[in-house]
Amino acid sequence: MKETLLTVEGLCGGYGAHFALKDISFAIKKGTLTGLLGANGSGKTTLLKMLCQQMKHEGTCVLSQKEADAQEGLILEQLSSRRLARLVSYIPQRTGITVSMAVLDVVLMGFQPVLGLLERPGRAQRQQAQQALEMLGLGAYVQRDFLSLSEGQKALVLLARTLVEDSRLLILDEPDSALDLPNRYGFLSRIAGLIKERESGGILSLHDPQLALHFCHQLILMKEGRLVGRICPEVDPLPEMEAALGQIYGPVTLVECAGRDKRRRLALLWEQQKDLTPDRGQEEER
Amino acid sequence: MDSYRRYKRTGWLAAAILLVIGAFILSLFLGKYPLGLADLLAGDTQAGKVFFTLRLPRTIMAVAGGFGLGAAGWVYQMVFRNPLAAPDVVGVSSGASAGAAAAILFLSAAPALVTAGAFIGGLLAVLLALGLSALAPGKGHGTIVLAGVAVHSLAQTVLMFLKLAADPEKELASIEYWIMGSLNAVTLTKIGVPLLVCAAGLVVLFLLYRQIQILSVEEGEARLLGVSVGRMRLLVLLAATLVVTAVVSVTGLISFVGLLAPHTARLLIRENGKTALWLGGLVGSILLCGADMLARSVAAAELPVSIFTSLLGAPFLIYLMMRRGGWE
Repeated sequence: MKETLLTVEGLCGGYGAHFALKDISFAIKKGTLTGLLGANGSGKTTLLKMLCQQMKHEGTCVLSQKEADAQEGLILEQLSSRRLARLVSYIPQRTGITVSMAVLDVVLMGFQPVLGLLERPGRAQRQQAQQALEMLGLGAYVQRDFLSLSEGQKALVLLARTLVEDSRLLILDEPDSALDLPNRYGFLSRIAGLIKERESGGILSLHDPQLALHFCHQLILMKEGRLVGRICPEVDPLPEMEAALGQIYGPVTLVECAGRDKRRRLALLWEQQKDLTPDRGQEEER
Repeated sequence: MDSYRRYKRTGWLAAAILLVIGAFILSLFLGKYPLGLADLLAGDTQAGKVFFTLRLPRTIMAVAGGFGLGAAGWVYQMVFRNPLAAPDVVGVSSGASAGAAAAILFLSAAPALVTAGAFIGGLLAVLLALGLSALAPGKGHGTIVLAGVAVHSLAQTVLMFLKLAADPEKELASIEYWIMGSLNAVTLTKIGVPLLVCAAGLVVLFLLYRQIQILSVEEGEARLLGVSVGRMRLLVLLAATLVVTAVVSVTGLISFVGLLAPHTARLLIRENGKTALWLGGLVGSILLCGADMLARSVAAAELPVSIFTSLLGAPFLIYLMMRRGGWE
């Protein structure tokens, strides 16, 4: 049984009376990836913002200590922004970097939480940043202008930044939205591998349930600000998962199959609803 | 590839430094009163006087002021994440103009008083804009821009009233002349305090370079990198604005240097790091020093320096823009 990394309890709050998250509780285990699924406006981004402590809320997020003997977890709500930055790193949907700067400088920003106000990244840190970029296949882009990169490369640079941050919890907001198919799978498998290797944890909101079923150890289903279901794609029986996913997508069928690596995979078929126009064919997402 | 970039960077920096030195020396010996090195060394008292009370302070002010405006311009563009951001965004220039006009109107047109008035006016405008934005609930960089626009138009209104009240023969002319900007009236006694303030602000900016770079990132992302965005932005803007106010209070309004210099630097070295900050400052020095030399030698009368900063800077910027489209 894996240890718990993050325990989220009773998250409530939101934007006035119109929209609010209601009593969200779940846990993330070490070395695993948790996916957030839900329609637009179901509260995925709001939940992530609360986890990052960028939005006021009730309830607590408790991160377990790195040392095994530490009993008490760290309550994220009570940490200073510097401390929080060391523990949690965040990759936004689209990066907020709109001013051109060198790729290396972007990665070096990852050292911000450990550097003093006037301190500069040292030689070792520059090397570490360079290595992170090389590991992700961006060794040739170190001095390039970040803005000139493709979306897929930008996502990898931001991943390199979180690599040097060495944080315990990685939060990603719809990492699939700007990427094409190979980049989506490549990017997410790197993240999954990284999290497993470092025994950290990740939580990401996704639009594509196929992708979520493929990479996530746990899926949290959201609808109108509530948590309406929680599934573990690796172990839960298919009918149960179908019923849970059905709450947010309408009727779906899950098909069990194997890829070339013989690994068990799940394909999601979206079923036509009766009241839709009959001549549109079934949409199959693979 | 990397070493090529490094050579290119150092090359441009070295060229800029040489040009600044060249402009500095040329500016010392250029002007209405013919001055040669021989006269100076020969101990000609008249020449010495011209040199030390007129040429030297003026040249120092042009080089230092240009550097300050250029470097501060880079900072504004980063912090507001807007390539068109300039000191005007936070209302500095109009505040300084109103302050200078008030001094001319209520005290006298004595240069030292006008400088003090402009400095206080500019500072008040910035503090008002930053204070307002700190009080507002959002605290985003949009709030600062809005507060700046409000303060800017407020200062413009005050300036208009002052102009209406001014005696059109003398005071109004002084106000207009100040607004057009000139290094004509720069003397040794006037530049001491402003240069110190300018230097202090620049030191803060260069030390906080890494923070400024992170401030150019979207707020939530920056905060999760561990920067207290609100406070840091306030500090950086205050430092940048101090630099601008200090310069402008001596020279009057100088247009375009803060906008053109950083862009020119970026286009030359095609990057936006610390070298761009340095080069932006140096380009500002060259631009202002060159413009000042033209302003005092083209016509029989002194011309406003802003005419030439734009006249020199704009075509060069356009050339750089056309040379190769965008970044690589």
